Amino acid sequence: MVGAEEAARLDRLEIQVENGGGGAWEYLCLVRKLKPRRSDKVLKHGLAILNDPKARSNLGGEEWTLYEQVAFAAFDCQQHNVAKVFSLSLPLPLHMCDCVAVLSKEFPGSLRVGRLEGMLLEAENSWAEAEKVYARLLEDNPLDQIIYKRKVAIAKAQGDLKVAVDFLNKYLEIFMSDHDAWRELAEIYVSLQMYKQAAFCYEELLLSQPTVSLYHLAYAEANESQCIEYSGFIILLFLRFLLTAFIEQVLYTMGGLENLLTAKKYYASTITLSGGKNTRALYGICLCSAAISQLTKGRSKEEKESSDLPSLAAEALLRDYKYRAPKKLPLLNSMLKNMKLSS
Amino acid sequence: MAADCCYEVSQIAYVKLVLHALKHPSSAVNGLLLGRLRQDGSTATVEVADAVPLSHAQIGLLPALEIALIQIEEHFEAEGLSVVGYYHANERHNDLELGNAAKKIGDHIFRYFPRAAVLLLDNNKLQKLKTGKGRDPAVQLYTRDSSRSWRQTGSDGSNQLTLKEPTANIVLFDYISSEKWQQIVDFDDHLDDISKDWLNPGLFD
Repeated sequence: MVGAEEAARLDRLEIQVENGGGGAWEYLCLVRKLKPRRSDKVLKHGLAILNDPKARSNLGGEEWTLYEQVAFAAFDCQQHNVAKVFSLSLPLPLHMCDCVAVLSKEFPGSLRVGRLEGMLLEAENSWAEAEKVYARLLEDNPLDQIIYKRKVAIAKAQGDLKVAVDFLNKYLEIFMSDHDAWRELAEIYVSLQMYKQAAFCYEELLLSQPTVSLYHLAYAEANESQCIEYSGFIILLFLRFLLTAFIEQVLYTMGGLENLLTAKKYYASTITLSGGKNTRALYGICLCSAAISQLTKGRSKEEKESSDLPSLAAEALLRDYKYRAPKKLPLLNSMLKNMKLSS
Repeated sequence: MAADCCYEVSQIAYVKLVLHALKHPSSAVNGLLLGRLRQDGSTATVEVADAVPLSHAQIGLLPALEIALIQIEEHFEAEGLSVVGYYHANERHNDLELGNAAKKIGDHIFRYFPRAAVLLLDNNKLQKLKTGKGRDPAVQLYTRDSSRSWRQTGSDGSNQLTLKEPTANIVLFDYISSEKWQQIVDFDDHLDDISKDWLNPGLFD
C-alpha cells in the first residue's frame, strides 16, 4: 500500500511530465515501485523514451526493464481503454509485439520474457494459446507464482468467475501467505455476492496483518452486506415506510444480528486504527446501530447495547461535514435524525 | 405490469454515466438515475433528468449503497425528482450481460418505482462514437417484464429509449476528447474525501 507522501510525489511528477517539464524516467521508476495503474501515461512517456535513440542508450541496462514496463502498459491500454483509442494515434498492437520481440531477441528462453509472451497472447484474446505457453513454462518452473496468477486472470477475463475462484483457492493452498491473492479472492467473492466467503478471506488477512485498517473495514462491510442481503435493505424499508408490518416481513435470523454485531465491532476497530478519520467506518457504525436497535426492538433490556459509540460516531461525522462539506450537512443531519442518532 | 412506456434520457444524465465509466476503465461502475414520470394521455414517459455516480470499487458491498440511496433520495426530493433507475457498466470490455448485482439493485428500485430502468453501458456502441457514426445512445435499456425478470428492450416498439437532446452524442464525443472524465466525482470518492461533491456541480460549465 502506497504512503501518502509517495502518492503525492507521484502525482506531482505526473503533472510535471505531462506539461513537458521532464523527469519522465524518474516518473516511470516511481510507477514501477508503487504500482499504480497509470498505463496510458506510462505508455505515452515510455514510448517517447524508447523511440529516442539517445535517451534509450542513456538508460544502459535499464532499457530492458523499460521495454517490459511499456509492454505491460500497452497490454492494459489495448484491452480496457476505449477512450484512449481516441487520443493515441499509434497502432497499439504493433508496439506491443515490438517490445516483446525485442526482449525475446535479447533474452532467449527466459522465463520472464516467456511470461510476457503469454501476456501478449492474453491481450490478443488468444486464451488457449496463452494457456499453452503458461503450461509449458510451469513444467520447468512449477512454483512460479506469477504464472498461476495469470491463469486466474485468464479465467476472470473470460468471465469464468467460478473457475477463477477455484484456481485461486488451489493457489492459496500452496502459497497461503500471499496477501494480494487473499484480497483478490475476497473481491471476487464480493462481486458474486458471496459475502460469507469474502468475510473468511478478510479473516485470514486480519490474522496476518491485524493493524491494517483497510481489512477491518472490509470485514465489517462484508458482514453488514451479509445481513442486509437476507433482510432486504432493512434500513430503507424502515425509513421509507416506518411501518412495523414491513419489518416483520423482513427475514432476520440470529445470524443477521450476529453479523451486525461483528460488523459494528470491526467498524469500531477501523476507527481506532485510522485515528477516527475513516468516514465509511463512522457511517458504518451509524447504520449498524440503527439496524441493531431495529432488530432488537421488543427484546429484553439486558440484550440491548448501551454505549455512546453510535452518538459519538454521529457527532464526529457532523463535525467533519461542518468543516469540509457544509453543503451536505443538512442531508447528513436529517439522515441521522431519522436513525435517532442525533436530535 | 407497466404498459408501453418511453424512456427519455437527458444529456446531463447520459454524459455523466459515460464519463464515469471512462474514468474507471478497469472496473465496474454504477450509479443512480433520477427523474420523474410524465403522463400525456395514454403514453407514459419516464424522464431521466440526472444521474449520480455511485461507485467504482467493490460494487457488491452494500453499506455504501444504502447511505447513498438515503442521501440522494432526500436531496432530489426537493427538486421533485426521485430515483427512477440505475446504470451499470461491466468490468470486462465485451461483457454485455446484466450481472446479478445489477439485477438485485434494479429489483430494489423497482419496488418503489415499477417502471424502473436499468441502463447497461454498451462498449461496442461507445467505440462507434469515435468514428462519428454513433447515432444511438451507447447504452442498453432493461426493464422488468411481467415474468419478474429484467429484459432488454429493443427499438421495436414498446419501451423505447431516446436521448432527449439529439446532440448528446456529439457533446459526449467532445468531452471525451478533452478528457473531461477526470473531473467526475462519485459517491465512493466522496466517502474517501468528503469535500468531493457527488452532485458534480460545475462539471459542465
